Amino acid sequence: MLIDPSALAALGGGIALAGGLAGSSLGIAISGSAGAAMLSQDPRQLRNVIILAALPMSRAFYAFILLILIITTAIPKILVLADPGGSGFSILAIGIMAALSFGASGACQGSVCAAGIAGLSKTKGKVLTNAIMLAVFVELLAVLGLVFSIMALSMLGLM
Amino acid sequence: MLVSPESLAVLGGALALGGGLAGSSIGLGWAGSSAAATLAEEPGQLRNAIVLVSLPMTQTFYGLIILILILTTVIPNISAMPDPGGSGFAVLACGIIAASAECVSAAYQGAVCASGISLLPKTKGQILTNSLMLAVFVELLGVLGLVFTIMALSMLGLF
Repeated sequence: MLIDPSALAALGGGIALAGGLAGSSLGIAISGSAGAAMLSQDPRQLRNVIILAALPMSRAFYAFILLILIITTAIPKILVLADPGGSGFSILAIGIMAALSFGASGACQGSVCAAGIAGLSKTKGKVLTNAIMLAVFVELLAVLGLVFSIMALSMLGLM
Repeated sequence: MLVSPESLAVLGGALALGGGLAGSSIGLGWAGSSAAATLAEEPGQLRNAIVLVSLPMTQTFYGLIILILILTTVIPNISAMPDPGGSGFAVLACGIIAASAECVSAAYQGAVCASGISLLPKTKGQILTNSLMLAVFVELLGVLGLVFTIMALSMLGLF
């Protein structure tokens, strides 16, 4: 390999964290702009708006967990395997998969939260529970992305 | 090959699961935002809304099936082939088929479910059966993506 396999693996972890941060940013931007518009109408919904607008933030932490796992656990095992270059490239592939999952689910959870925030003042805050429930569905995809990445790493013998 | 054929195959499987996760997120995001708006209007439709919102989640599992099949069955076969490098690249191509099928079908299934959800209050929930039927049409494309990927892998002698 022209590139060191550990560097490819670190690139995979970095892409995963970048995807998580980008997804969280997009999601919080979408729900936050709906929140700012809602608060100008009904400032008493501040507590509910903050709860809903903060939901997409968790992607950044899932991605951070994955980056730490790759750097601390997967990279030391690369050199032990039969084909270090291929293992590094496989970790890069898994990082891209996790980035897709975190990025898309963060951004789309933001739009669910934004729709919930827009209904807050009409329902006097009662839509909060239902909106959180629907947002948790999208959350599930990010958790699955983390779990399946760890599963794929362990199937490749890197975990 | 600079990159080992096995790691190209892992990239194919990871892209398939990544496409499934991203598509499910987008689909759940569309359907969920419509559901949050509908539930603000009529909280009694919670059960029907949740049934419709969760439909696009299945494409993630089709992607997961492909990743597991590639990691467990296809990769051990690659080194036995006359042209391992080409076979690895072919598995990557099959992964791209699966990724586009799962991503696009999940996202647009979300659009079908979103339209169904927005009409739940007007029809007092009676639209549920019809929109389930229409959503299953889009689901079929996700299943076909899984089946054709497995078919292509077995026609290449990798399965």
